Amino acid sequence: MGNVLLLAEHRQGALRDITFEMMAIAPKVAEDMGGEVTALLIGSGMDDMAKKLSEYGVKVQVIDDPVFENFNAEKYQKVLSALIDEKKPAVLMTGQTAQGVDFMPALAVEKKLPLVAEAVGLEYVDGTLKATRQMYSGKVSASVAFKPAETYLVTIREGAVEAPEPAAAGSVEKIDSPFKEDITYRKFVEYIEAEVGDVDITQSEILIAVGRGLKEDKNMPLIEELAQGIKADVAGSRAATDAGWIPHDRQVGTSGKTVKPKLYLAMGISGAFQHVAGMKGAKTVVAINKDPEAPIFAVADYAIVDDMFKVVPALQEKLKELKG
Amino acid sequence: MSSESQTFTEKYDLLGCIQCGRCTGGCPVTVRADLNVRQFVNNAYDEDKLEELSRLAEIWDCTACHTCAVRCPKGLKPLEVLIGLRTIIVESGKVEPTVRDALQSVLLEGNPWEKSRAMRTDWMEGLDVKIAEPGEPVENLFFVCCTIAYDPRVQAVARNIVRLLNKAGVDFAFLPEEESCCGSEVFTIGEEGLFEMLVEDNTEYLNEFKAERIVTLSPHCFTTYKTHYPDLKNPVIHYTQLLDELLEEGKLVWKGELQKKIVFHDPCYLGKQGGIYDEPRRLLKNIPGVELLEFDRSRERSLCCEGGGGKMWVESTSTKERLADVRIRDAKELDADIVAAACPFCVLTLEDAMKNLGYEEEMRVAEIMELLGEFVEA
Amino acid sequence: MKTIVCIKYVPDTSEAEVKVNPDGKTVDNSRFSYDINDADNYAVEESVLIKEDKGGEVDVVSIGPKKSDVMIRMALAKGCDRAKRIEDERIADHDPLMVAKVLAGAIKSEEFDLIMTGCMANDDGHMSTGVALAEEVGVNHASMVKKVEVLDGKVKAHRELEGGLMEVVELELPAVLTIQTGINEPRYAPIRGIRQAQKKELSVAGLDDLSIDPAEVGAEASQVVLENLYIPEVESAAEFIEGEPEEKAEKLASILVKGGLV
Repeated sequence: MGNVLLLAEHRQGALRDITFEMMAIAPKVAEDMGGEVTALLIGSGMDDMAKKLSEYGVKVQVIDDPVFENFNAEKYQKVLSALIDEKKPAVLMTGQTAQGVDFMPALAVEKKLPLVAEAVGLEYVDGTLKATRQMYSGKVSASVAFKPAETYLVTIREGAVEAPEPAAAGSVEKIDSPFKEDITYRKFVEYIEAEVGDVDITQSEILIAVGRGLKEDKNMPLIEELAQGIKADVAGSRAATDAGWIPHDRQVGTSGKTVKPKLYLAMGISGAFQHVAGMKGAKTVVAINKDPEAPIFAVADYAIVDDMFKVVPALQEKLKELKG
Repeated sequence: MSSESQTFTEKYDLLGCIQCGRCTGGCPVTVRADLNVRQFVNNAYDEDKLEELSRLAEIWDCTACHTCAVRCPKGLKPLEVLIGLRTIIVESGKVEPTVRDALQSVLLEGNPWEKSRAMRTDWMEGLDVKIAEPGEPVENLFFVCCTIAYDPRVQAVARNIVRLLNKAGVDFAFLPEEESCCGSEVFTIGEEGLFEMLVEDNTEYLNEFKAERIVTLSPHCFTTYKTHYPDLKNPVIHYTQLLDELLEEGKLVWKGELQKKIVFHDPCYLGKQGGIYDEPRRLLKNIPGVELLEFDRSRERSLCCEGGGGKMWVESTSTKERLADVRIRDAKELDADIVAAACPFCVLTLEDAMKNLGYEEEMRVAEIMELLGEFVEA
Repeated sequence: MKTIVCIKYVPDTSEAEVKVNPDGKTVDNSRFSYDINDADNYAVEESVLIKEDKGGEVDVVSIGPKKSDVMIRMALAKGCDRAKRIEDERIADHDPLMVAKVLAGAIKSEEFDLIMTGCMANDDGHMSTGVALAEEVGVNHASMVKKVEVLDGKVKAHRELEGGLMEVVELELPAVLTIQTGINEPRYAPIRGIRQAQKKELSVAGLDDLSIDPAEVGAEASQVVLENLYIPEVESAAEFIEGEPEEKAEKLASILVKGGLV
């Protein structure tokens, strides 16, 4: 039987998006392998989460024990190691997240099982499980095949696929924890929330960078409002920091910071080579500039040739509508 | 080259200083930043204080324009005291990340722009360029400069030179991708060890070529080779000198007219440090239709654009007006249509200032080769 | 404190065009620049900072070609004490589990308090080697660490979770930490420092020298096969969004939302 054991990820009382995204991959793989999906929840007090997960038409198994109140890689590894022995799933799948990367490689070594990390696709073809992953910051795709094994370990990249809508009613079942004793060699201490107002743009996920095109300080609120709506940090080109619109520690470029956000919105930035050098690590670049010849367009994924002051207010409206 | 046993005072001849203050008096940076070079020369006598002095932020405000050196009655180079203090920081490893990355890129890839060496000659694509070979005689051996090779904004300088010289039938060749940074900015940033290595390696490399002379495109390379490479076999000139020769020989065939007022900005490394003032002016004046203007502060007194001295990688903490902005406003007052320069750094900083002041519509910043590319048959 | 820091020499492909070689399994690396892997650079700095604070030694271990010696010399110039470079064509380096096994084999005779390595490699991005290594050598670990506090016999590690949240964990030493970028500001290795570091030991070893059975770390031992590499079909040039300003805004908003970018 080719069952897929899907380890659900949750934090601070809520399921994380990756859990639902895996629902777009796991059922098809399980079906092709002639098995079914079991979603596993490990934690403490998770009835709501279990119910929500079961709405995807899967069997949900819950290990509910105060010992698992906070994520702990060692404990997860122990539980999954025991469950692999007991249930012999064909595939153990979880997210390539701060949680998944913290125990899956160790589990693979312990159980002598193959691991493919950060897959963006997974399919079972002619008796072989194959994963697609990316290399060289997404410039190359790699097709990786598992050699036959008892259980295949795979982690799925966050945001690689869209989460499906809930499908059908599933079931919820509590199971016993394969271990009871707590461990002492690795202890959870606390969570520390990110400090507010202390922005390190080198770590930002979404950045709106403004340039000379902002023209004057009084246009800043327009940008700040947009940033607030999409949880972006605001940075600037040398011109923008020079003008005092943006603090110096938020300057992007060779004489400022090198940033690598997932999304970089360049507003009124021409894209001088010295600026581009600081943001070339951005995953997706959107550029809005009046000048169709602006070099920023050469590094952009999406380009709008227009007056930013005409586009930005409309953009903010539309985003609000779409995101609800 | 300095020997390890020299004291700081001996190395920079601090005892030769008479504290007249002409250095600070002429320093263009004083209006913008809290930098008093005379005071540094004075305080650096005390070896115990060097560490403390090296931590002062203003040592990074110096643009290495050399005004202080030009003005010093004792023939000293006060700016090099600041560079010496930078060296203390660089050798501790605690430099700004931007400086760190630039220096490391010079070591690993031969350029400060974090570009792959393999891409150094990409600018040649589609052009008929002869690549120099060691031992193969050539009249003019071109050294392209890291910034011109990699920054698309100024690549036209090299591309236009190639077209123009091909048309004029000049014997020339460019170096292959093994060409490495001249070390101009490495020197001013104070990475002495790396600079010594570049001088040694570049001297050995360039001496393999049988050229009558080496022609540099950037005044930074020009002055650095002339000043810091004592064992270089071949004479070094700046491209404006070569073109001036062609002008004299009647080999530049003009086309079209440029009915514009042009003001020439003397790059510090070409003028004050290289002693070249007239060649670029003659080239501009000869473009049909051009009216050549002069800044009040021109030639030896030219105002620095703040592009040198490693400033491409160090942002000043000062929020006062940039010197490049002052320069552009001066040009505006002269009613100039074009501000011309013959240095990639000057073009980048002045153009930035021009846009900053919102003069894009009525003013243009151009490298001389960009203009010649448009008005000489090629 | 004795720390072992594991580093990797990787190509910078952020601006370069990447081409797959005719074998379909490797990329043409002739136009790339190479340097220490980003996160590993921070691991080196962290190991040196700990040494400066607590005393002790730092060993560098790296699997890579001769030309990566310059990267190792830089680490030595920054304050690491000695280095071992492993070079052997038989290592199945597409599989981080095999890489971890080789690293474990190279350090098996060493006493240590900490092993540090970058949490991710710029090139293949598995984020797996460090955690697998911890299991191989049988010690505790924490991944994606953005702050380290060395205590008596323990280490407090701040793990960076998604959305700026930090998870603080306490581990008994010895332990493996995989280091996240931004944990410190890596210093510059000046040339004079690199020259002085020429005196430090840099040994080169193959699998046989390390008594590692090639059959356990080679392509046969790896349970995954890299079938082929290909360039994903993405338009390299920007997609220009056309229309009136409002239409453009609407189209962009929909791209951002549907693409999960915001």
